[in-house]
Amino acid sequence: MDDLVIGMAGSGGDGIVSAGESLISAATYEGYYAMMTKSFGSQVRGGESSCRVRLSTHRVLNPGGALDVAIALNWDDFLKFGAELPVAGTTIVIYESKTGVAPDALPLVGVAPREVFAVPIGELAKQGAGSDKAKNTVVLGLLAGWFGLARTSILRGLRKKFIKKGEALVAANEKAFQLGEQYAKEHPLATPRAMDAPGVQPGSRLLTDGNDMAAAAALFAGCEFFGGYPITPSTEVMQFFNREVWKYGGAVLQCEDEIAGIGAALGASFAGKKSMTSTSGPGLSLKSEIMGLASIAELPLVIIDVQRGGPSTGLPTKSEQSDLFAAAYSAHGDVLRPVLAPTSVADTFDVTVEAFNIAERYQTPVIILSDQEVAQRKETVDPIDPARFTIETRRVPTAAELTDYQRYRFTDDGVSPLSHPGMQGGNYQGAGIEHNERANPTASGKLHEQMNAKRFKKLAPLQRRKDLFHIDGNPKAPLALISWGSIAGVTREAYEAARKEGLDVKLLVPWLVYPVAEEIYRDFFSSVRSGFVVEQSYQGQLYRILRSYVEVPAGVVAFCRSGANPIQPGDVLAKLRTASLTLQEPAVQVPVED
Amino acid sequence: MPTSVAALAAYQSKDFKSDLKPIWCPGCGDFGVVQAIYRALAAIGRAPHDIAFVSGIGCSSRIPGYTTAYGFNSVHGRALPIAQGIKLANPDLLVLVASGDGDGFSIGGGHVPHAVRRNIDITYIVMDNQIYGLTKGQLSPTSPKGLKTVTSEYGSLEEPVNPLMYMLAYGAGFVGQGTPADMAGLADVIEQATRYPGFSFVNVQSPCVTFGEDDDQVKDHRANMKSLASLGHDPTDRLAAMGLAQGYGTDLHTGIFYKNPNPPPTFDAQMRVRQAELAPKALPRERILDMFVQR
Amino acid sequence: MTKTRSIDFSKLGLRDALDLATIIEEEAKERYQELADQMELHHNAAAAHFFRFMHDVEVIHERKLFERRTALFGKEPRTVDRGMIFDIEAPDYDSVRATMTPRQALHTALAAEVKAFEFFEASLPSVTDADVRELFTELRDEELEHQGLVQKQITALAPDDAITTEDMGDDPVAQ
Ligand SMILES: Cc1ncc(C[n+]2csc(CCOP(=O)(O)OP(=O)(O)O)c2C)c(N)n1
Ligand code: SF4
Repeated sequence: MDDLVIGMAGSGGDGIVSAGESLISAATYEGYYAMMTKSFGSQVRGGESSCRVRLSTHRVLNPGGALDVAIALNWDDFLKFGAELPVAGTTIVIYESKTGVAPDALPLVGVAPREVFAVPIGELAKQGAGSDKAKNTVVLGLLAGWFGLARTSILRGLRKKFIKKGEALVAANEKAFQLGEQYAKEHPLATPRAMDAPGVQPGSRLLTDGNDMAAAAALFAGCEFFGGYPITPSTEVMQFFNREVWKYGGAVLQCEDEIAGIGAALGASFAGKKSMTSTSGPGLSLKSEIMGLASIAELPLVIIDVQRGGPSTGLPTKSEQSDLFAAAYSAHGDVLRPVLAPTSVADTFDVTVEAFNIAERYQTPVIILSDQEVAQRKETVDPIDPARFTIETRRVPTAAELTDYQRYRFTDDGVSPLSHPGMQGGNYQGAGIEHNERANPTASGKLHEQMNAKRFKKLAPLQRRKDLFHIDGNPKAPLALISWGSIAGVTREAYEAARKEGLDVKLLVPWLVYPVAEEIYRDFFSSVRSGFVVEQSYQGQLYRILRSYVEVPAGVVAFCRSGANPIQPGDVLAKLRTASLTLQEPAVQVPVED
Repeated sequence: MPTSVAALAAYQSKDFKSDLKPIWCPGCGDFGVVQAIYRALAAIGRAPHDIAFVSGIGCSSRIPGYTTAYGFNSVHGRALPIAQGIKLANPDLLVLVASGDGDGFSIGGGHVPHAVRRNIDITYIVMDNQIYGLTKGQLSPTSPKGLKTVTSEYGSLEEPVNPLMYMLAYGAGFVGQGTPADMAGLADVIEQATRYPGFSFVNVQSPCVTFGEDDDQVKDHRANMKSLASLGHDPTDRLAAMGLAQGYGTDLHTGIFYKNPNPPPTFDAQMRVRQAELAPKALPRERILDMFVQR
Repeated sequence: MTKTRSIDFSKLGLRDALDLATIIEEEAKERYQELADQMELHHNAAAAHFFRFMHDVEVIHERKLFERRTALFGKEPRTVDRGMIFDIEAPDYDSVRATMTPRQALHTALAAEVKAFEFFEASLPSVTDADVRELFTELRDEELEHQGLVQKQITALAPDDAITTEDMGDDPVAQ
């Protein structure tokens, strides 16, 4: 077996998420590819909680669909997660026998799981550790026993985790683990399902989530200042950055609100430092005025927006891709602002470094449109070679340019040299007001037109950045998929499955979601007669944006739904199959009137 | 011409005056304020390129453009956060902030207590004309109760805020007031505020002659202002300062209300200490991702 | 009021006093220039014209003082600067208005002469050097003389129109 999706749920006190963390750390250490997502009720502490862990010997693109293994410490809690923990006929269900539910009377409507085990989990914990609080450790033992998972690494991890609290606690947990493992051995699966061994050296891969990855990438890119305000699910960016950036001579300012956060970040950029802010939907709305200021003042700035269900508070802990309009368009005036979207924890690194490079090179704000799924899921990441990246810095004026400095000089590429306080001769007034080349205020219509043209022109090269697009499959394929953000991982899995089935389909995943690279899409669409833009939002915002810039073939439609209703690879595959059948029907000739 | 004779001080007022011609209405109080700022900056003697001068939006917020410092005429109400970011990004800079009463105490009012409590070493100069100038005479948070404006046709029903009391109550280490009726005195307060190591605030009663209450405000100031020094006020006495600050709106006290005799360490100073302490723990940038390797 | 800075009038010598007087005129000259610019920007040609005239008058005063100083002290370096004086004879910013009449502009100049007179009058008691005393007295009296001249012009002026720009002009423009 090379792929295993485990879902577990319990109450917060059961420590089910903590068990998931132990499992994914151990599995990553051993060399598996793994991915973990968490989901919680809205209680701050002690509510229901769940996690999904997917383990595999090959790269994992998404958290997976139906569970291979479902673990319920308590059925009420398990059921609250509905579609996030889907049980199917292939699922092995393990649950706490103390719940009193009979194995043939599980509260799962319309499914007959493949195998069901009612395990006295609490009882085993009490026997092993002297307290039923160690239920999560018993669960780890069960998983190790049944699926041959990372035994030694889990034990090592438990030791590392509990040793601070004393050897006795370590011993107690080891005992609980062993009892779980032993129970599994004594009650073997009908068809044994041990995981294949991973093929790499232990300890070579990384494990992190998208928020930490973005913060680390920002540090790597040379960002030295963060101004922001906490908001789920983006806060970890600020927290991580705050732990680290001081060591590099930088600072984090937790501000009084999002406006102050982006204001301080923009101030730092004006002063010559690379800087950033991060937020989520409601905060993005507050930041929009100063994003406009950054555009007209032509200052580099990176804004991370971790999307959650909206509008307003919406579904603050669930992923959605509904901020694209806001990211692309939330500005007054004629503004073009690049928006990049990572699709995984791994490429969050690339996208973040790229965002800083674009911001610096073109002296513009750049939005990184992450989403809760990418931001908060943990994922195994292959080692990233830092030598792959060039780090760009802003074009500062030369000594000659400083003798007669013109901050907004019209240049061939639209980018003018940018000075900062402390630089003699570079003195200018940055402003939200329209200005001439010397940065002096103006109300001239001619200058306004010219400056708008300059601000648009400098970003034109982005449209030709093929490296910001991932296009796979037969270039002539009539069937197409387009997808962005975390849901691109789901779409890619469906794409791969479809190709295996022999469907002639191609896939486009953009990192650059705005501005729309018209030529790249035009090329892509040239062979396409049918397809789907797959998005986790009610409206299908990328689909709609594409339609306003390029001729989207009539057979290409949005496949989208609101957040917290995860689209599964199987859903996309089913769509593709139907579309492919329709394509094979002879085209009806419509008489053309002239 | 004699102007080219070698000067004694490193900088003169003219070194801080830009070529832009102010678009303020003739008679506006802000003309005197910018003169006082030139003078204070000349006395302090930092090079114009080492000064960042941030403002929001309003007639008053045009002021950075009339100086030769690096200016940032940002958006309405947000000068303080931007200035704080600048100072933290480069604490060697001298950072000044200018606002109007609407910019500073209405739309930007939420930023004020936080700027004060953070105690980042910046100087906040508010040109308080008790009216919205740039947008043509609407009610401002410092307009006196009963004031009739285009948005309070029958007289305002609200009490004004008292900027001096605000600042003292928030815990500002330096609170002063001045008026362009006494440009020299104003320059002096601004200079002292700028020299104060920490967040400092200067309220400038800077009349709007176009939409303000009456035409002779500066003359009235000249006649009625009382310097705090002449009243024998001890600027290290915060409670006494609060007592005098109550007079805002009726009395025109000029000079220093409060100056903390023992300035606490600023945010920026503490930041530098922390950066130095933690620097040895920095991984080389190309090894940052090692943090995530499972061992 | 701290209109002067680090000047000890009791120790003031003639050279420095002449230099001070020169830069006082220089300051006034610059202010008239500024006011003329303001008036121009606000399309008040008559007031702009008058302030330019006053600027030119101050240029002459400044030059005369400078020549006197050069005759007495040659190229000896100056030891006083603009940082030491502030707003002595410069016309007040608050005394001008976009729509002001020539009469009002003359009053602005008159007030500046009064201001200068008061400065010399107030400084004189502290001055000990006889030459400086003589100079300051002379300058003070000159200010008085200028006041007379301006006053005369005011009286000579034809009466203002009954209708002013203030009455007829457009409302100010919101930004
Ligand atoms: C977000 C936003 N809201 C409103 C405005 C319009 N506006 C510009 S300046 C101003 C008030 C100006 O009053 P004040 O801050 O007291 O400055 P003054 O012009 O009197 O110096 C207003 C309401 C704006 N520019 N931006
Ligand atoms: S409207 Fe008022 S505040 Fe604005 S420039 Fe004119 S006088 Fe000054």
